[in-house]
Amino acid sequence: MGMLAPLALLGLLSVPLIIAFYMLRLRRQQQQVSSTYLWQHLVRDVEANAPWQRLRRSLLLLLQLALAVILAVLVARPFSERPAALAHDLVLVMDASASMAATDEFPTRLDAAKRAAQSAISGVPAGGRVSIIAAAETAQLVANEATDRGRIQRAIDSIEQSIGPVNLDDAMRLAGKLAERTLGAQILVVTDDAGARTPDLRVSVPVKVVTVGRERHNQAIAALAVRATPDGLRRSVFISVANYSDQEATRRLQVLADGSPVTARDLLLRPLSRADVVIDELPAGTRTVEARLAQPGDEPMAGPVDRLALDDAAWAVVPPDRPRFVLLVGEGNVYLQNALSLLPNVELYGTTPQDYAATAADPKFASYDLVVFDAFLPPTLPDTAVLALAPPRTSLLGEVRGPLEEVYLGQLPPDEPLLRGVDLTRLHILGNNDRFRTQDMALPDWARAIIPGGDGPLLYSGLRDGQPTAVFAFDVRNSDLPLQIAWPILISNLAGELLGGALATRDPLAPSSPVELPLPTGSVGMRVTLPDGSVQELLPGATGAASVTFVDTRQLGVYRAEPMPDPLATVSPSPMATPSAQTAPSATPGVETGQAEPSLFAVDLFAPDESNIRPGDGSRLARLGTESGSGPMEQGTARDELWPLVAMLALGFLLIEWLVYERDGARRLLGGVRRLRPRRAGLSRRGGQA
Amino acid sequence: MTDQPEHGQAGAAGRRDMLPSAVDPTVFDEAFLRQLERLTLVTRKAVHGGMKGLRRSVKRGQSVEFTDYRDYALGDDLRALDWNLYARLERLFIKLFIEEEDVTVHILLDASASMDGGAPDKLMFGKRAAAALAYVGLASYDRVNLAVLQGRAARRFPPVRGTGRIFQVLADLSAVRASPGPTDLLSAARHYAAQLTQRGPLILISDLFDENAERAISELAGTRCDVAVLHTLSTDELDPPLEGDLRLVDRETAAGVDITADIVTLDAYRQRLSDWQASLERASAKRRVAYVAMPTTTPLSDLVFAELRRRRVVAA
Repeated sequence: MGMLAPLALLGLLSVPLIIAFYMLRLRRQQQQVSSTYLWQHLVRDVEANAPWQRLRRSLLLLLQLALAVILAVLVARPFSERPAALAHDLVLVMDASASMAATDEFPTRLDAAKRAAQSAISGVPAGGRVSIIAAAETAQLVANEATDRGRIQRAIDSIEQSIGPVNLDDAMRLAGKLAERTLGAQILVVTDDAGARTPDLRVSVPVKVVTVGRERHNQAIAALAVRATPDGLRRSVFISVANYSDQEATRRLQVLADGSPVTARDLLLRPLSRADVVIDELPAGTRTVEARLAQPGDEPMAGPVDRLALDDAAWAVVPPDRPRFVLLVGEGNVYLQNALSLLPNVELYGTTPQDYAATAADPKFASYDLVVFDAFLPPTLPDTAVLALAPPRTSLLGEVRGPLEEVYLGQLPPDEPLLRGVDLTRLHILGNNDRFRTQDMALPDWARAIIPGGDGPLLYSGLRDGQPTAVFAFDVRNSDLPLQIAWPILISNLAGELLGGALATRDPLAPSSPVELPLPTGSVGMRVTLPDGSVQELLPGATGAASVTFVDTRQLGVYRAEPMPDPLATVSPSPMATPSAQTAPSATPGVETGQAEPSLFAVDLFAPDESNIRPGDGSRLARLGTESGSGPMEQGTARDELWPLVAMLALGFLLIEWLVYERDGARRLLGGVRRLRPRRAGLSRRGGQA
Repeated sequence: MTDQPEHGQAGAAGRRDMLPSAVDPTVFDEAFLRQLERLTLVTRKAVHGGMKGLRRSVKRGQSVEFTDYRDYALGDDLRALDWNLYARLERLFIKLFIEEEDVTVHILLDASASMDGGAPDKLMFGKRAAAALAYVGLASYDRVNLAVLQGRAARRFPPVRGTGRIFQVLADLSAVRASPGPTDLLSAARHYAAQLTQRGPLILISDLFDENAERAISELAGTRCDVAVLHTLSTDELDPPLEGDLRLVDRETAAGVDITADIVTLDAYRQRLSDWQASLERASAKRRVAYVAMPTTTPLSDLVFAELRRRRVVAA
C-alpha cells in the first residue's frame, strides 16, 4: 500500500495541537451558582477515580483525534497496488452504434459497455494515458491522452447512443494512428461485435476486445417503399420485416398514413427469415407512411423479446399528388393527344419540332415530367422521362437499323405489367411507308421488349440513365392500334411506368447523412422541424446561395423543411400559362420540394448489420492487431485508491461524535417531558382529595 | 405587640386594597394573596372557636377526652378514679385525659446567601411557604414564632397570634434579605434552640447547603419539637443547565470549582444530589424529623394541602 500525496500526512501534526488545546482549556467561563457544595463533592469523587473518569470525559476528544487522523490519511490518498492488466498507453474504442441500444444488457448494451470500460480502465497502470474514441457512423475522439481518472470516467459516460450503423473502419484506423504515437501502446475495443463486416485494415499494436451482449432476438422493418401502381393512380406500400432471431416470433405490423392507422397485420416470422407485405389501400393524398412493429393484439408477444426497438419503425415520404406535365412534340397526332389528355392528373402541352428548340431552352422546360417525341428526335434528349414513337434515327433511345418493311408480331410476354388489360391479338401494323414510319430497331441493353417483333422489338421500355423511357418502333398511325380499346389502356400503362418513376417515393436517408435543401425564391433560409418536434433554422452561408445543408439527421423519423420567407420581399402572383419554373428541382434525391410547401424527408435505419444483433466474441477484431505490438508493451502496476473506504470511516466517526455530543440535548428534552408528568399526577391527586 | 387574637377582621382578600406598604408586592402578590384566601376558607372550617388552640398536647390535663389509665397514687384526684374498673378488678385506677392547649408554631427560614437565587427564587419561595404556614398557624389560633437563620444566629421576630396578624407576618418576611456572607446553619440552629421555651411544631425551610446540615437538624430535633424540614431546591440546582468548561463560583463563600459540564459530569451530579437527599432523609428519619423535598416550582396549595398534610406537618 502507498500514498499518492504523502505530504498530506503532515496533517497529523494537528493531533498534538488538538490535545494541547483540550488540555490547556485556556478560556473557562465563570458562572455563579447558589452553592458549590455538591460540585466540590463531585470533584473529589472524580479525582478519586481520575484515570477512568478522565478517559470517559475524553470520549469527544478521542473522536476528534480519530477524525483528524482519518482526514489526514484521506488527503494523503492511500492506494493498494496490483499488476496492471493493460498497457500504459491505451486507446479505448467504444462502439456506440445502433445495435448497442439492444436491451439484453441492463439497461442497454451501451451502458454495459461503459461499465465494462470503467472496470477495464482500472487495469491501466498508474499515470497511464487513455485516449477514447466513440465509434458510430463516424469516429469521434472523446478524450486524448487523458491521465486523470475522473476525466476519463466522465468522457466514457458522455458517449451517446447513436442511431446509425457503426463505421469500425474509421474508428480502428484512428485508433491505430493514435496508438502508433507511443511504443508499447494497446487498443481496447468494447463492442457487441454484431454485424458481419470485418474492417479491412490492420493495426500495428495489440488489440484487446471486451464484448457485451447476450442475445440475438430482434425483429426489424428491413425495407419500406411506396410505389405507384402501373396506372399511376394509386400507391402501394411495400414492407419487408426481418426476424434475426433463431426462434419463431409473432409481431403485429401496423401501417399508418399521416399518423392515422391504415391497417394492421399479425405476422408469423420464421427464424432467420423475412416476410414481405404489400399494402394497397393507402389513402389518396397521403404524405407520409409509417410502418411499426408492435406486439400482436392484447396478448403478450409470442416468442422471444425484441431486444432492439430502433429498427421497429420506419418512415417513407410520398410525393404529393400534383399534376404531371407532359409535353407532346410533333406535327399533330390526334390519337396521341386524345390518349394523353385523357390521363388523370396530367396536363398536356404541345409544341412542334420547329419550336422545340426554343421550348427546350425555356427554363420552364425542366418542369415537364414526360416528353413525348412523335416521329421526331432532338439532337439532345431531355433529362426526363421520354416516350418516343418512330424515332427517325439512331440515338440514345436505341439503334435504328433501318425501315421495317414487313412487320411480324412476336410472342407477347405473359406477365408484362405494361400489357395488363391490353389485348393486342387483333393488332395490325403496316410496314414503313411514305406517310408513316415503321423502324427496325435493336433492343437496347437498358430496355425490355414489350411488343416483340420479328427481329427487333416494336415497343420496348426501361430505365435509360435513370430516366424511364419507352420507344415505339412504329408510328401508331401506321397501325390500327389507336382504333382499338387497347390503345388508351396501353397509353395509361405506359404513363404509369414513365410517370410512376417520378411518383415513386424518394429513398429515405441514412442516419447522420447531410441533406441539401434548395432555397425557394423569396426565402432567406429553411426552418427544419425534427421528428421530436424541435426546430432548427438554417441560413445560407453566403449571400445568394441556392441551398442550405442540414446535418442533424440523428433522429429516426420524418423531417419537415419549410422556407423562411424574406420579410422584405413583395409577393406578386404570376399567371401560370405554362408550368411554373419557380420551383427549383430537388438538388438531393429523396427530398421532394414544392414552392412554399414544406419539404419532407425521412431518416430510417435500414441496416442489417445493426439489426442483426447477434453478439460476437470479438476475435475477428482482435485479429486486426498484432500479438505483441511494435515494442514491448509497457506494463506496470495499477493502483486502487482507498479513499472511499477512508471517507466512509470518517463519516462514521462524525456520526458517532454527533450522537455523543447531541445526546445531552435529547436527554434534556426527555427530562422536560418527564417533569410535566409529576405536575399532572399532583393535580389529579388534588382533584381526588377535593 | 400582643399575642391576643384579633377577631372580626376580614381575611387577607378583604385587605388586599389596603396592603401595608411594608409588604413586598413582588413576593406576596395578588396570586399569593388569593391562595391565602383559599387557605382561610379551609382552615376556618376546622376552627371551632375559643381561646384555646386545637393542638393536642402531650400533657394530660382536665379535658373531656379520655385517653388512658394508671395506678392510683397517694394524692391523686379521687374524682378521676374509675369505679367501674375497681368493681371489676378490685384495684384503683385513675383516668387520664388529653389537655388541649395553645401551641407555638416555630417557623425557621434559612436566609443564607445560597438561598438567594434559582428560578423560581428559593428565598422568595421560602418566604411564601413561611407565610402560608404562619397563616395556617394563625388561623388555628396558634402562636407563631418566625425566625430567620443568618450568619451564625437566628433573628427572631415578635410572636404573633390570630389571622389579623398575617400582614405583620408578611411585612416581617418582606424585610428579610439574604445574608451577604457565609451562614453557619448549625450555629444558627443552636442559637434558636437555646432560646426556645415552648415546644410545638418547628418547620425549617432551607436548601441545607451546609456541611453540618444533618447536625443542625439533630440540634433542632433535640428541642423535642415536632420538627419538619422543607428542603428547598431550585430547578437549576436539580438539573443544572451547564455546558462546557466552567468555573463555578459559590455565592456564599466565593469558592470556585472547575468543571467540564459534559454528559458524564452532569449525570454524576444528579446522582450525587440524589444520594445527598437520601442521606438527609435517612438522618431526619432517625431523629423523627419529617423531611420534605420541596422544589421551588411546587405550588403553594400542593405544599400545604398535599405534602405537609401527608407528612402530618399540617393537621388534617
